[in-house]
Formats: sequence, C-alpha cells, structure tokens
Amino acid sequence: MNKKHSGYAILYAAVLGLVCALALTGVDRFTAERKAANAQAEEVRNVLGVLGVPFAAGASAAELLEVYESNVRDEERNGREFFVFDHPSAGELLATRFEGPGLWGPVEGFLCLRGDRETIYAVSFYRQEETPGLGGEISSDAFQDQFRGKKIATAAGAGIRVVADGADAPNEVDAIAGATMTSDKVQAMLNETIEEIVGANGRPARRGSHGG
Amino acid sequence: MADKSPVACVTCVSRGGVCDGKGIQTLKDGVWASNPISIQILGICSALAVTNRLENSLVMGVALIFVCVGSNLFVSLLRNVTPRRIRMIAEVAIIATFVIVFDQILKAYYWEMSKQLGPYVGLIITNCIVMGRAEAFALQNRPVVSMVDGLANGIGYAVVLAIIGFFRELAGTGGVAGFQILSLDWYVPNQLAVLAPGAFVALGFLIALFNWLSGANKEENEGSTP
Repeated sequence: MNKKHSGYAILYAAVLGLVCALALTGVDRFTAERKAANAQAEEVRNVLGVLGVPFAAGASAAELLEVYESNVRDEERNGREFFVFDHPSAGELLATRFEGPGLWGPVEGFLCLRGDRETIYAVSFYRQEETPGLGGEISSDAFQDQFRGKKIATAAGAGIRVVADGADAPNEVDAIAGATMTSDKVQAMLNETIEEIVGANGRPARRGSHGG
Repeated sequence: MADKSPVACVTCVSRGGVCDGKGIQTLKDGVWASNPISIQILGICSALAVTNRLENSLVMGVALIFVCVGSNLFVSLLRNVTPRRIRMIAEVAIIATFVIVFDQILKAYYWEMSKQLGPYVGLIITNCIVMGRAEAFALQNRPVVSMVDGLANGIGYAVVLAIIGFFRELAGTGGVAGFQILSLDWYVPNQLAVLAPGAFVALGFLIALFNWLSGANKEENEGSTP
C-alpha cells in the first residue's frame, strides 16, 4: 500500500495502538498483584500510624498486614467503621476515617480517640492536595501533634476549633498562617465526623460555635 | 521543539553507524557538548521538581534513560514505515508506552519512591528531551546509534539531576542519602534549598558553571563573527 495513502496511516496507527495497548495490558497484569498489595499496605500503614502500633520502618506489605491483623480489630458502630487497638500505655484507642473537601482537592485522614471517646489521641491527614508550604502543612507533624490530648466536646457543645488567634481552650488548635481556607475546611470535616461520633455515644449532638 | 535545531543538524549530517566513531561522538554530545539540560535547557520542569533529594533525582534519571533508549530504538526501527504525517503521534504513543511501563514497575517494586515522585514519572511523556531526540535523531538514524543517543541524553539529564539533587539535599538537610555530612552542631539546614526556589537557584548556578566550563569561548567567537 502507498505510504502516503490515508488508509495506510490509519492502518499504521491502528496496529501501533494495538501493540502499545497489548504491551501495557501485559505489564499491568504482571504488576497488578504487587500494586494491590502496596496500596493495601499503604492503608494499613496509615491505620497503624495513627493508632501508634509499633512496626518496623522498612516493613514489607505482608509484614504490615500481619502486624495489623494481630493488633487491630474492626468494629462498626452506627454505620461508622472504627479501628480499635489496645495500646500498652494509652489504653483502648479508636480510630476512624474522615474525609471532606479541602481547598484544592479531597482531604482524607484518621481521627483517633482514647477510650473515653472524648480525648483525641492523634489526628493524621494522609491524603491532601493543599498548597505546599501553606495548607499542605496540615500533614506536618507540627500541625497534627497539636491535636493530641484535645477534647472533641466541651460544655459549649461538640466540635473542635481551628483558631487563628491563639489556641487556649481544650478544644482549640492553632490554624496555619496563610492557610485560612484550608484550616476552615479541616475544622468543618473534623466536626462533621465528631458530631456523628458524639451522637453515637448517646449524647445530644449539639452544634457548637464553629468560628475561627 | 524545532524540527531542525542546530544540534540536530550537527548530529545528523552523516548517516554512519556506531562503528565509524559516531557512537562515541553521539555519547559525548548528549552527555556534555549538547547536554539536554545545561546547554539546551530542555526538560527543566522535572529537573526542578524532583531534585530535592539525591535518591529521587537518580530514580528520575534512570526513568529518563529507560524511556529515551526505548523510544529512540522503536522510533528508529519504525522510521521507514511510519507515515510522515502521523509520525509525531506515533512517537508519543511509543514514548507513553515506555513511561507507563516504568511507572507501573515503580508502583509495584518501589512504592515509596513512586509516592515521592508523584506525577513526575508520568509527566516524562511530555518531557521535551524524549520527543526532541525521537524527532531530531531517531527518525534519521539507525537503531543502535539511536539507542546510544538516547542513552547519552538520558545520562546527560541524569548527571545534571544528580548534581542538583546532591547539593539541594546537602544544603537542605546537612546530609545526603542518609549520611550526615555536615554536623548539625554548627550547620543549620537551609529549608529553602529543598523548596522550589532552591531548585531555581541550584539549576541557575549549574547552568552558569557548565557554560563557563564549556561554552564561554565559543560564545565569544560566535559574537565576533558578523
């Protein structure tokens, strides 16, 4: 067939496309198992991290899963999934996933409570696309560690507050300077989850003042 | 991406094979004389983005070598049967295939690194160096010498990235690849080095250095001709 003919070009493109697609399908098949294991290990690593379950830094996917299965149990309460771990020093810990819109994209994280269902043991943001250096700091240790020991409910009602003018109350953490939008959205998504939990605890889920 | 850049003309005059000295010349050109980053200023987007750590830079360099060699080989093998009108689409299809293969392998066997490099491995598809070499070299040359060209340009890219990555990580953390080189007793890590501005400064210095070492005289000579 003439190389300048359109039919030749179409045939060439079709054959090339088919060969490339076959090659990619093959590679995908070949790596599918390991990729799935890695994605699962990532999940498990996040859960273990927020619950404070010790695991080796360079643990393989299979090792992580083993640590997870021998330490953490899944519980469902009022339709919400909790990961429960009996911490050797902190006692029973319950972690639950939360998510919500950030400024640029979805934000996902874990909220981990102590056995009293009121005190925060840890908060971690494991997925976010906020502005690096500003909103992106929500996944920094400095921001996340602020939540440790805070109360998710006070006499005024349920909810934590991310405030710009200095956190002093037991339900307040400092916002990130220059990232007011992200801070507000983080507060909103945390409180949505907190209200569900507080409601499930049998307390009236009152709306607190979500200023800041 | 000019079809007939000066670089392309220099390397494409003869149609010789690897054996008549062209292989060595091609290798020298890619790594040094027409280094894709420091001389041609191509592909600097990824060079700026992933060079905050030496390890990231090295993996990215390996990725580019793999893609460049593979795509140059196939573009060259198909150069006589590829219809001219759709050659660029064909090149992109070949390049994209190699990039995705590398990305998938990284995801399966080097998850941590895959997470750190984020979208930048996938973005190699749009890296000017890869398509530039396919267009300017592989389309006119035999498969083996085209692979050498891909290898040379990949190495040229990787070396520059490694140098930038080394100094950014060193300045930003005081150590490189887990080894503490500058004692934190007296060295305060400069966070700026690992952030975006540090990349621009480091790349600027490196390009200046390369030009000073290789191109300063040439430029003067060029300037004096009418």
